[in-house]
Formats: sequence, structure tokens, C-alpha cells
Amino acid sequence: MRTTSSLHAVTWLAWAIAAGACVQIAPNPLYVALVLAISFLVVSTHRLDTTLARAFPLLVGLGVIFALLRVILTALTTHSPTIDGPPPDLWFTLASFTLPQLFGGFTVGGTIEGEVVMSAAAQGFAVVGILGAFGVFNAVASHHELVQAAPRAFHEPGLIVTVALAFVPSTMAAVSEVREADRARTGGRVIRRGRLVRLTVPIVESGLERAVSLAESMDARGFARHARGRSDSISAWLGLGALLALASGFVALIGQSGSLALGLAVVGVCALVGAVILSSNSGGTTRYRPRAFARNDYAVAGIVIMAPVGLALLSSIGDEQLWWSTTPLTFPTFSLFPALLIGLLAAPVAVK
Amino acid sequence: MNAENGSIVWHNTQYSYPNSDHTIGAIDLELEPGTATLVVGDSGSGKSTFLRTINGLVPYTSGGRFGGDVVVCGRSITTHKPRDLADVVGFVHQTPEAQFVVDNVEHDIAFVLENLGTDERSMRRRVEEVLDALGVAHLRDRSPATLSGGERQRCAVAGALASGPQVLVLDEPTSMLDPQGADDVMAALRRLNDDLGTTIVFAEHRLERAAPLADRALFMADGLITDDGLPAEVLAPLTSAPPVTHLGRLLGWSPLPLTVREARALARRSPPPIAQNPSELANVNAGSTPSDPFPSRSPEAGDVLVCTRAAGVELGARTVLKPTSVEIRQGEIVAVLGRNGAGKTTLLRVISGAQNPSTGSTTANVPVAHVPQEPDSLLFQSTVRAEVSSTLELLGKRDNAAVDRWLDKLGLTELADRHPRSLSVGQRQRVAIAAVAVGDAPVLALDEPTRGIDATSRQALEHAIVEHGATGGAVVIATHDIELAARIATRVIVLGDGEVVAEGEARDVLTGSLFAPQVLRVLPPFLTVSEVAQALGTTGPK
Repeated sequence: MRTTSSLHAVTWLAWAIAAGACVQIAPNPLYVALVLAISFLVVSTHRLDTTLARAFPLLVGLGVIFALLRVILTALTTHSPTIDGPPPDLWFTLASFTLPQLFGGFTVGGTIEGEVVMSAAAQGFAVVGILGAFGVFNAVASHHELVQAAPRAFHEPGLIVTVALAFVPSTMAAVSEVREADRARTGGRVIRRGRLVRLTVPIVESGLERAVSLAESMDARGFARHARGRSDSISAWLGLGALLALASGFVALIGQSGSLALGLAVVGVCALVGAVILSSNSGGTTRYRPRAFARNDYAVAGIVIMAPVGLALLSSIGDEQLWWSTTPLTFPTFSLFPALLIGLLAAPVAVK
Repeated sequence: MNAENGSIVWHNTQYSYPNSDHTIGAIDLELEPGTATLVVGDSGSGKSTFLRTINGLVPYTSGGRFGGDVVVCGRSITTHKPRDLADVVGFVHQTPEAQFVVDNVEHDIAFVLENLGTDERSMRRRVEEVLDALGVAHLRDRSPATLSGGERQRCAVAGALASGPQVLVLDEPTSMLDPQGADDVMAALRRLNDDLGTTIVFAEHRLERAAPLADRALFMADGLITDDGLPAEVLAPLTSAPPVTHLGRLLGWSPLPLTVREARALARRSPPPIAQNPSELANVNAGSTPSDPFPSRSPEAGDVLVCTRAAGVELGARTVLKPTSVEIRQGEIVAVLGRNGAGKTTLLRVISGAQNPSTGSTTANVPVAHVPQEPDSLLFQSTVRAEVSSTLELLGKRDNAAVDRWLDKLGLTELADRHPRSLSVGQRQRVAIAAVAVGDAPVLALDEPTRGIDATSRQALEHAIVEHGATGGAVVIATHDIELAARIATRVIVLGDGEVVAEGEARDVLTGSLFAPQVLRVLPPFLTVSEVAQALGTTGPK
């Protein structure tokens, strides 16, 4: 029964970004599987007793559904050009028809090829890995802590996001409660006819009622009491700009355009510093026991960031095995050094 | 502190809800600083609306037409929004579930302080103080979602108290609490009122707990304050008055007592002309043996309708219910008592088959219908009547007479065309019970059926339960309401930490208990007013 993690929410954010970046840089399914295994390990050692504790399995499940859809759609619509005879790795052939030009004019069905299916599956699996990392973050980190650590200008929007997030699990709890009530009403008999209405109406109505009472409660407890000043809005825009610049800098880094990345990073950091300075000058709300970034946090954040940085270096010196090439279809290769780098992501397990 | 601090004044206040003929007013009233005012009235009489005018939630968030003015601590709600009153008015909702903003108790309590811009050191001190004042310090790191109903209610009160408001408004603060939890909340309120002079305005149905705190009582009916005065004057004539008040009226005591303490003093001064030891009682109740002066309420051993054999429930690593064997026989009304989180709801769910036991088994020989604690989870129709008859439709029956009968039994006939969601909590509770009971399942499992329910509907409900038991059914009730158990239960099961700690007839189990019903505390061994009336040879309380 705990709601505070042994690590700071910002550390967990760093972890999630690092894990996501590892999957991006090394989408080889074996490495993705390794990231997922580490994610599972981290969740089982650090899961909190909050409403979002089940985020990891949920988001992994969502990722799997997405990946399956992707595999099916890709398999049905992607075909290697047939020049002479059947494609090299034909699994089987379905009936096919070509859509009219209006809808893109591609062929649905037809040849189902191993390479296409496997490459779509690998891409889907990478998405599962990224969603898994996001799920870990939700299950182990206190969102409130992150909101508190954010610059003041982000405090109110951040709080609204966390409150909205909290509605997801409570709605799921409401679903099971309503199902149970529906069964109880008929003395344990399950009657399927019209059940959708009987289940949906109470969930939606109760959800709306709860949202209204929550808004009232926030209002009665002085939320958004202070008029937002000019410096608040300037710092909000600066902060947004900083995030965008840093994110694009990261993309530029992956895209191996070093000078652009450096420039964007400098711009982003400057904007962020400006936002923080501006917003801390404006009065209004205060923070209750903001958590300090401890030694463990520096250590863990430092170690986990090494993983994507190391992989990026490997990739820049031309390590082809980080990707899995499906033409020709072979078993993905696995080597020890990238795996060790990914293993750095398990650092939080050592902190209990 | 200037004279305006803590005062609340209503000037010709009128309000009507949008698209509804539900109105309150006109109200002209002044509450002195530092007083504790109790608002009573039937479900739907406008108590909640009235309380919500104090910090402007009505009309700011509810819309509708508002006339007149309410001035709190010198600030008018026509010029101040609820958020601008957050430093002077603390507000506790009827449903604490919906009140938490942060997924951590301690930080949630600090929420109002953060918004007020309190400096860090004062925040630390205030939060520690309210954690202690409400006895929730051990819950500080928990998530509100994992707390039991009573723990949650106390944390919600703590959240409203954190800013040190001069006015505290509570809408039925103890309706979900066990007796101990309710006493804790009431004691905390009294301390605030005594030591800090906080003005307290609260609505409550269980007057036996609320009456001792109040300096003044308001009675509301149809949106108007129809009676206003000292609690003893306003509350004594009500059907919802505490049992000791009814006892006092029966025995001709004057002034009428409101608390057990007053009643005990009166009983010592003018002892009632009835026998109180077993041998004399035996003569009064002719036909019973000397060792058993009261005829047992237990019915003749009927058929076993439901039984659990060593059924236990584990959720994750936590044992919610230790292996328990319970038999529910025909004609029985079983009250399951126990503190918040003791496993009452779980036992009920095991009995009704909503929860499969992790160990042991449940055997139901007849259908069991279960009314959950949260009535909202089953209301989906647009009128009360449709809600009740849809259960029959689902069961493939068509029996308008049964629908009318249950509407009538639970006093819902007048509300039959209202939308269930527009009703008060107590009324919704009754609709949910009617909607489930109409299916005619022999065993009814009711979870906290008297929560937020007014005296009239409570009587209707008790009557319906007794009748259901007498006509060959059985009822299992999980409740905190000791008086309910004392009045109607044929058997009482007390749970403690998922274990049965006591089981037997209400009198045996409740005698000597710290939480005994009021009459038993004043005139043992009598459990209820009607038993005293019987011993007197009269027909019962007027």
C-alpha cells in the first residue's frame, strides 16, 4: 500500500524516454523483447498503489491490438511487385480485388508474403515496446509529483490532465460495478438483451455526475483562484516552445543531423530556463512538500540515459544489427554489447 | 477577529433549479459566528441546496434562477465565486468519492493550501494538524481510491478543514461511517467549534449523533425553513428524533432528552414503573420462561436458503474475509455489523454470489437479489416507475401490481414519474431497493440501505423488510445502523477484520457493547422503545 515511489517522477520520465528511445534506435525484435522484459521487471518492483497501477498491462494490451491491426492491414495491402513468377517468400494467396482510383487504387488481398508480414509485425512490436515504457511510467510514477516539479505555468493544465487521467481507471471500476449491479438485479441471471444500454447509461451518467462534483470540489477548494498574469502566459508559451524545440532536437539527433540538434537543444534549454524564471516570479499558488531530486535519482537517471546514447553511438558507427532486415527472411541477430546497453534500463530495480 | 467573521446571513434568498420546479426560498436567516447549526428535513426537502448557497456552489455551478443574497463573513456570494470563498468556507460533499483531486491523501489535503498560496512551513503545520484532528495520519500515503468509505469521508473532511475556514459546511458527514468513525468526525467538529469558534452548518439524518453537537436546529420542508430554534424544541417532535426522545415521550419525561446522558439522568430521577430484572419481567411477558424474559425474535428454524461453507476471500495479498460459515434461513433478518473495512460488503457479495470465494463455497438454494451500496450503478431508466418495471421485463414477467406495491411500500408513489437521477441520495437508494426487490427473489441482500435515508422512508423500508421476512423470504443487511439492527434484526453478525467475532440474537450480541442502541444503554435489557411500551402495557410511541 504505497503511493510514493522511491524515485522521483522526473527520473521515471527520464526512464520512459530512455526506454522509448532504445526501442526507436534498436527496433530489432529481440532487443524490443529485452526492453519489454526489463519494463515488466521494473513494474513488478516499483508498482504503486494508485488508481493507475494497472496501466502497464493495459497499455501493452492496447499496443498488441494496434500491432495486430497493423499486421493484418499491411499483409492485405502490401505486395512486392511480381515481375516473373511468384514473390520469393509467398505464404499463400487470397482472393484479391483492386479498389477504385478514388480510394487509392491499391489491391486488397492477393499474395500474403512472409517478409511483409514479419516486417509489419516487427514494427508493431516496437510500438508495443514504446507503449509498454509509457505504461511503466504511469504505473510507477506519481503524476502529481511530476505536476509539482513542472514550472508553475504548467501547474494548472498539468493538474487538469492528471485529474482526467484518473477518470480512466475509475470508469473501468465503474464498468465492473455496473455489470455486477446488473447481474444482482435479476438475482444472478445474466440477461444479454438490451444490456448495452443498461450498462452504458449508469456509467456515463455517474461519470458526468462525478465530473461535476469534482469540479465543484475543486472550485470550493480555491482552484484557479488567482487571476493569471501576463508573465504566466508568456512563460507558458516559452515552456511549450522549449518542449517543442527539445523534442525536435531529439528527432534531429536520431536523424543524425548533429548541428541542427545542438542548435535546437540550446534554444530549448534557454526557453525552458526563461519559462521557469518568469513563472517562479509570479505569485499565487505554492507547492506542498515538493520532492527533491535525490542522489539515487541522479544516479538512476544518469545510468538509464546511457542506454539510448550508447545505442545511438553504435548506430552512428554503423551497427546494422540494431535493425532487423526481413529481406531475405532470416532470424534476427543478437549481440551482447547492445543487449548490455539496454540492460542499463534495469537500473531502477536496484533501488527499492 | 472582527464581528463579521464566521457569520452567515441570508437576505430574501430564493433559488430555482433550471428545468425543474424544485425551488427553495424565500429564506431570511442569520447564523451567529461560532454556532453549530443542524439542518434536518426529509429527503428532497432542499437541505443540500440550502447548504450549497453558503459558498455559492448554488447558483454558480448549478445554474438556475437566484434572487436575494447570501453574505458569508462579510462577503456576498453575488460578487464572490466559490473559489474566492475557499479561505473562509470549507465544504464537504455528500459523496466523498468525488471530492479527491490528488491521488494521495496528504497531498489532497494540501490542495486548498496550495491554491491559497500558503507558505510551505504553515502548510506543513496545517496538514499535520488536520491529519491528527481527524485521526487519518496513518492514511497519509494511501490513495483515496483504496480507502474504505469511512476513511474516505474523514479524509474529505480533513481536506475541507486544511485552510482553517471560519465556516465549515457538511452535507451528511457521517452517513457512511461506522459508529466509531462517526464519533471521531463529530468529536473533531466539536473541538473545532469549541476551540477555534468555527461556525458549523451541517445536514444529518441520524439525529442521535448530530443532536449533541448542535446549538441550533433548522427544519426544512419544501425548500422553506419551517422551524428554527433550540435542538430540543425542533427535533423532539420529529419522527426522526433519537430513540431516547421517543422513550422520554413514552415515559412522560420533561424536558424531553436528546442524548443518552440526559435520558440516563432522567431515568435515575424518575424511574419508569416497569420491571427491569429477569424474574419480574417474566411475569410481565406471560408465557415466557424466567431465564428468557423476552420471546425470541428468531423464527422457527426454516429451510436454509443460502449458506456459505468456510468461504474466504483474498484480494491480492490481503485477506478481506477469513473462512466464514453462514446460514441464512427462511424468515430471518440478519444484520451484519462491523467497522468500516471489516468485510461486511464482501460477506454480502459472497452470500449473493456476486463474489466467488477464494476458498470454501457458497450454496444458494433460491435466487438472491443484491442491492449494492452505490444505487447509481443500476439506475438507467428515465423514470422511477420504468426503473422498477424494467427488472420485471428483464425477468420476462409483467406484473404492474407488483410494481405499484413496491413503489407504495417504499414510499415512492409520489416520485414515480421523476427521473431517478434528479432524486436525493436517500430517494435513489429506495428506488434501487424497489428495482431489485420487485424481482421477487426470496433472499434480499442490502448493503447500507439506510445510508442518507430520512425517517419516513426508513420506517417504510423497515416495514418492507419485516414483511419480506414474514412472508417466507430472508433479508441480509450490511449496516452501521445499530438502531436498525436493534429494531428489526432476528440475528446479528459482528465482523472484525474479516472474521466473525460475535453472532446471535440482537440482545445477546449488543448488550454490554460500547455501541449498544440507545434504549439498551438507558434501560437495559430493553432494546427498543416498542419493547418498553409493551412492558408498560401501552400501545407504543405516539
